[in-house]
Amino acid sequence: MSGFHSHKRGGLIEHTIEGLYLAMERALHAETSAGGAGLLQRLDPRVKVAGLFALILASALATRLWVIAAVFALAILLAAFSLISFRMLAGRVWIGALTFTAAIAIPAVFLTPGVPVFHLPGLNWTITAQGLTTAGYLILRVETAATLALLLIFTTPWMHVLKALRIFRVPVVFVVILGMTCRYILLMLQTAHEMFESRKSRTVGTMTASEQRRMAVSSASVLLTKTFQLSGDVYLAMLSRGFRGEVYLLDDFQMKPLDWTAAIAFMSLTAAAVWAGR
Amino acid sequence: MHIPDGYLSPATCTALYASSAPFWYVALQRVKKTLHTRLVPLLSLFAAFSFVIMMFNLPLPGGTTGHAVGIGLAAVVLGPWAAMLAVSVAIVIQALFFGDGGITAIGANCFNMAIIGALVSYAVYRLLAGRSAILSFRRVVAAGLAGYVAINVSALLAAIEFGIQPLLYRDATGAPLYCPYPLSVAIPAMMLGHLTIAGLAELVVSAGVVAFIQKSDPSLLKSTAGRGIALTEPTERAGAGSLRPLWVGLCLLMILTPLGILAAGSAWGEWMASDYSNPAIRQKMAQSSFQQPAPQRAPEGLERLSSLWTAPFVRYAPPYVTSAAFGYLLSAMFGAGLVMLASLAVGRFIRAQSYDSEERAA
Amino acid sequence: MTLFEADCLTYSYERLTALDQLTLSIPEGSRAALLGANGSGKSTLLRLLDGLYFGQSGAVRFRGDELTEDLFAHDDFALEFRREVGLVFQNPDVQLFNPTVFDEVAFSPLQLRWPKAEIRERVDEILSRLRIFHLKDRVPHRLSGGEKKRVALASVLVLDPAVLLLDEPTAALDPRSQSQLIDLLVEWGGGAKSVITATHDLRDLGDIADRCYVLDCGRLVAEARPEEILRDSELLQRTNLVHAHRHRHASGAMHSHPHTHSDGA
Repeated sequence: MSGFHSHKRGGLIEHTIEGLYLAMERALHAETSAGGAGLLQRLDPRVKVAGLFALILASALATRLWVIAAVFALAILLAAFSLISFRMLAGRVWIGALTFTAAIAIPAVFLTPGVPVFHLPGLNWTITAQGLTTAGYLILRVETAATLALLLIFTTPWMHVLKALRIFRVPVVFVVILGMTCRYILLMLQTAHEMFESRKSRTVGTMTASEQRRMAVSSASVLLTKTFQLSGDVYLAMLSRGFRGEVYLLDDFQMKPLDWTAAIAFMSLTAAAVWAGR
Repeated sequence: MHIPDGYLSPATCTALYASSAPFWYVALQRVKKTLHTRLVPLLSLFAAFSFVIMMFNLPLPGGTTGHAVGIGLAAVVLGPWAAMLAVSVAIVIQALFFGDGGITAIGANCFNMAIIGALVSYAVYRLLAGRSAILSFRRVVAAGLAGYVAINVSALLAAIEFGIQPLLYRDATGAPLYCPYPLSVAIPAMMLGHLTIAGLAELVVSAGVVAFIQKSDPSLLKSTAGRGIALTEPTERAGAGSLRPLWVGLCLLMILTPLGILAAGSAWGEWMASDYSNPAIRQKMAQSSFQQPAPQRAPEGLERLSSLWTAPFVRYAPPYVTSAAFGYLLSAMFGAGLVMLASLAVGRFIRAQSYDSEERAA
Repeated sequence: MTLFEADCLTYSYERLTALDQLTLSIPEGSRAALLGANGSGKSTLLRLLDGLYFGQSGAVRFRGDELTEDLFAHDDFALEFRREVGLVFQNPDVQLFNPTVFDEVAFSPLQLRWPKAEIRERVDEILSRLRIFHLKDRVPHRLSGGEKKRVALASVLVLDPAVLLLDEPTAALDPRSQSQLIDLLVEWGGGAKSVITATHDLRDLGDIADRCYVLDCGRLVAEARPEEILRDSELLQRTNLVHAHRHRHASGAMHSHPHTHSDGA
């Protein structure tokens, strides 16, 4: 997530390849999961987008730890009803978010001024109650938001998520651009993946740092050229199919009774959480 | 850095969404005017490219790895407005689909990296590149530095956004609700990593790719070069002589930047209200202020603010920040280190460029 | 009636002349093949016929109307033309730019502002007809080559155009997909519909075309029926549609004769 971490030099290409592969694999997983038979999968995308975002907002506004924990518990419940495996959630969201946030939160445990709770003998550092609370806020909020976001993506076809963004007054042109971007991200990921793999297979031993750097830069440059070339051709293909500048969307969303029930449920729970957490 | 959920209060997030919206609107209008119907495929494909670039691990001197956002490159190749939109799209998809960066923080991340990043990068690039030819080495340097400065400005903005959280948002017991680190911690913490690692990654990508496309497809650089720029300099020797003043200026810039930014936590000006009654410190104040004697009492505003700012923290903030000597040492180290690294990178590019000039001349 | 007419058409880009004073005429209702090796200009010609490029000199006429940028600026002409003429690009990553198969096929009618209910009906119909209904919500990226081609075709046929332009339709397809595609085209064509296929693949030529136009270096060098073209091995070699290589028999004799490989190489 952030811009820096240390690695053994030899493992860098592998790391990039792995990262690219994981990203593609996540996209595939989301697609399969969205076709599942769980509770959230059955709901109108607009209800999900609005409802899950509202819950994220509620967890962001809360000034009491237990409220955030309650929203997190609700998210877990929704995951269970939507047949999303906890193992998958733990692997994709919980563990990663925990390690990253803990790294940031742990110093705060010692540094935040307030009522001392525990004293580390050797280092003369004090853990304060406020420090623990702050760390709690950080970790719980990140976990809750990340879980809710994953629930949205893994129970809704991506294009439906984008089309549902229209309820937030996102202009049509942006929704179309977002959709097209996603389509081409997969292509670029694959191209980059292939470039790295083929370079790696032609290398005996490990590459030096400067060789790896040069490879990254040249791959980026090749991708850039391909970007412009493709965008020109795609433009022609769009023109050929009647594109004149205005973009149009087709969405068939229709609210069923279940959707209305869910919408009301989301709104009441959010209101309760905001009220309790103020 | 992509700010996750939970680090910024909803009020801050809303403010940053609201700040981003007018820029997005203006950018869309401008891009529509220049690109017309091409904007959809170009922005989409560039956003996809931007997204993938952000995943590349770049090995950097010192055994570290960095990731580049590519905002320097985007601004140099697309211009500020299209770059702003393309990188925003990439950020939205990262947050929404891949969980990289918070959803409530999308406005903040776009504002810091895509919007201000694009504007700063473009301004620095145009300023440093001047009217030099499209294939000139000066443009490579300009692009690299544009990326470097832009990513550091973004990091600074993020650091400020982090740093004001504990000041403004606390719960009933006094525990910070969001980011718990004040400016005096947030700024050095963010800037350390970005001035060295992330900044270098951005510099390498911006400069490296621009150098590459100068050879493979220079037309990509035309749109941001300004009017009437030639492809090659009419009578240019292989770089070094005519560029020396530029180098000196750039090196100075690099040394001064970290000093300037770290000055937020440096000794001058960081006096506590109580220092004004301490004669030894008063003498130091006078010495460092061109022999102007210090006022008898702390200024009223300082008194008020200092109780707000420093009282709870002065005993708990990490020691390295309040020690003036250490602060100076850090700056000097980074300044020197940066100059060395920059010289290495620049030297390598010059060698590559002079080989090319020889080839072309032959 | 003449469908398309190219009159001394010249098109060049970046110092490369793709078409050099090309003149040809394609009648209405024909099944035509533009034959030529890579670089002969046939893809460029298709794009000029589809009003995507405009030549530096000379003219392209569609049913008598000269295609110019100004003409396409008018909505009424442009929308009608886009409905009448469909082009299937060679590269599926260019042809399939929407996030799902359904969106891809719905794109054209949406741009031409058909009523939404009608669009949904028509898309479902064409998907079923091409036997890809089960791929409706899939992402184009992960489809097989044959499936991608059928989606690409569907995205153009949904409008029921009068003219179908195809750029190397069988390229990169396995043999079974190729024959299925040919069958589809044969089934669709006929009657008042015109099909113009650009290809360098000489197999199935008799099935897909009743008239061949051979291009070489941006010029028209021959125009005849498929059987005549296939018999003219000197022409085929000269225009790089077949190649000859020498080989030695066990007896020591060496000779060469023109041929194509079974995989089209």
